[in-house]
Amino acid sequence: MTERTTTERAMAAHSGTAPILEVRHLSVSFGGLRAVDDVSFTVARNRITTVIGPNGAGKSTLFNLISGALRPRAGHVLIEGTDHTGEPPYRVQAAGLARSFQITNLFFDLSVAENLRQAAQILEPRSMMWRPIGASRAAHARVDELLERFGLTAKAQYPAGKLSHGEQRRLEVAVALACRPKVLLLDEPTQGMSHGDTQDTAALITSLAADVTVLLIEHDIGLVMSLSDHVIVMHQGQKLAEGAPTDVRNNPAVQAAYFGHA
Amino acid sequence: MRMIDALTRSMRASHLLVALLVAASLVFAAIGAAMGETFYLRLATEALIFAGLALSVDILLGYNGLLSLGQALYFGLGAYLSALVLMWVPSFWAAFAVTAVVSAVVGLIGGFIANRVRGVYFALITFGMAQVAAKVVYNTRALGASDGLIGVPVIDINLGIISFSSASPAGFFLFVLGVIVILYGVTAYLLDTPFGRLLIALRANERRVPFLGYRTMTLRLSAYVIAAMIAALSGALYPMLRGFVSPELLFFSTSGNAVITVIVGGVGTLAGALYGSVLLTLLKSVVGSYTEHHVIVIGLLFMGAVIFLPRGLMGIVRPAVERMLTRRSKP
Ligand SMILES: Nc1ncnc2c1ncn2[C@@H]1O[C@H](COP(=O)(O)OP(=O)(O)OP(=O)(O)O)[C@@H](O)[C@H]1O
Ligand SMILES: [Mg+2]
Repeated sequence: MTERTTTERAMAAHSGTAPILEVRHLSVSFGGLRAVDDVSFTVARNRITTVIGPNGAGKSTLFNLISGALRPRAGHVLIEGTDHTGEPPYRVQAAGLARSFQITNLFFDLSVAENLRQAAQILEPRSMMWRPIGASRAAHARVDELLERFGLTAKAQYPAGKLSHGEQRRLEVAVALACRPKVLLLDEPTQGMSHGDTQDTAALITSLAADVTVLLIEHDIGLVMSLSDHVIVMHQGQKLAEGAPTDVRNNPAVQAAYFGHA
Repeated sequence: MRMIDALTRSMRASHLLVALLVAASLVFAAIGAAMGETFYLRLATEALIFAGLALSVDILLGYNGLLSLGQALYFGLGAYLSALVLMWVPSFWAAFAVTAVVSAVVGLIGGFIANRVRGVYFALITFGMAQVAAKVVYNTRALGASDGLIGVPVIDINLGIISFSSASPAGFFLFVLGVIVILYGVTAYLLDTPFGRLLIALRANERRVPFLGYRTMTLRLSAYVIAAMIAALSGALYPMLRGFVSPELLFFSTSGNAVITVIVGGVGTLAGALYGSVLLTLLKSVVGSYTEHHVIVIGLLFMGAVIFLPRGLMGIVRPAVERMLTRRSKP
């Protein structure tokens, strides 16, 4: 691993040469279990990179390490060339990274619109924190835009907890997207969705990549193949392979470890 | 999307209910003054003072979802500070200024300690801190120990346009009403800002908040300090009314009563803290004039409220007011 000076890093970040997201030798253990074990990769700007792997491979734990939900035991997380390793989630968020959760993580007794407004509020200047809620016009405009885009306008005033499972999963993604992140981590956004909803969500994710870099966890192999620009395969905490979707699919090691189980 | 959502509408319903209470208070003050009444005016003044304490409990319980069993710490702090200042300089402004500053600092320290934990542990730590403070005051000679501080002078409250004595029952009642309405107004304003909404978000799902870009400790601390200041400023009114302060103000009974007030009045409604306090103070006095076991009656009443009115008085009344407001806003 080469050490670079802060200035070099800042310059690289400024000129846009640094990868939008880079993970170096990331590791964490739970007791004796190496949940994430020396994982390194870079994510290309405005592309969809998908992490796949069998249950318990360490995919969600990897997301927790990147988003600041967990501190790594070793390794680094770099966003646009700046080291954000072990920083709390609100700092990582400020660096431009947002995430959704595998287990729906909303404000269930607040309305759909208010869930989105809470997440979009960060787009407003800090001084708006102490002004009446209606004054945050940019946040409200963002909410309307997202309600429209995610087909939730009719349900805007419903409590999030009253939505169907599929709608909650969609709202989960919309909430993560509300702050206009540079990097969006989506942990199994289509989990438990009907076939139709899954297709809609896939189309939506594809459309996102125009202005956001997406790192996705997905189990549906058909979806992975059609959606991804790049695929990273995890197995027992380690990175088993990475590459273009078809290359990964044809990789014998991957077939043995992953598709063998399917 | 409309700019007024359900939460703002609920807040407006609270404003209306508080306006109603203020109107009733003005009528009450006018009648009381005309009849030369003292006892009930002073009792009502006390109800309003404890309403301020209940308001601070509701910020934490109703919005942040945190049960404080030690809010008397700040109420008592305000009462003692105010008594000490008034015995030295008889100025209500000085008493308020000192109380505001000191309670902010003490609230910050207390907040750092209490907000390290959540749920039951938060309740226990706030309880513990108040108990320690009460015991310290109880054993401090300079603060009058178990007797408290007596002989707080009657002061002239000079508001520029008018000036009156803290001993004037109707005048001081109206003054306290004004202070409590201002404290309510500030609280209600803050809770309907993005900051206030984040407190609601913390109650709804604390784990999600950091991923939206906010530091939960800062939010919780801010709420705690605001609640501490409101409790202390309410407490600062107490020696102006009674002319003395005693360690009982810091005891658990004071904190516990404030929690009961909020639960009976309606958690998370703000207006409920005010109505609840008026109701309980009145009941305590009326029942107390028949039997000395009024604590039993209050206890039974509380149990009844929890079982039959789990959302409290305002939890029932406010939604009706909200429906009225929605109907009116639709053409
Ligand atoms: N906080 C934790 N404490 C202890 N063990 C954990 C913790 N989080 C994850 N693990 C364990 O680490 C391993 C990896 O879990 P992780 O959730 O990252 O898997 P995953 O690849 O996301 O699986 P899935 O496809 O089922 O979501 C599992 O064995 C899991 O039980
Ligand atoms: Mg997972």
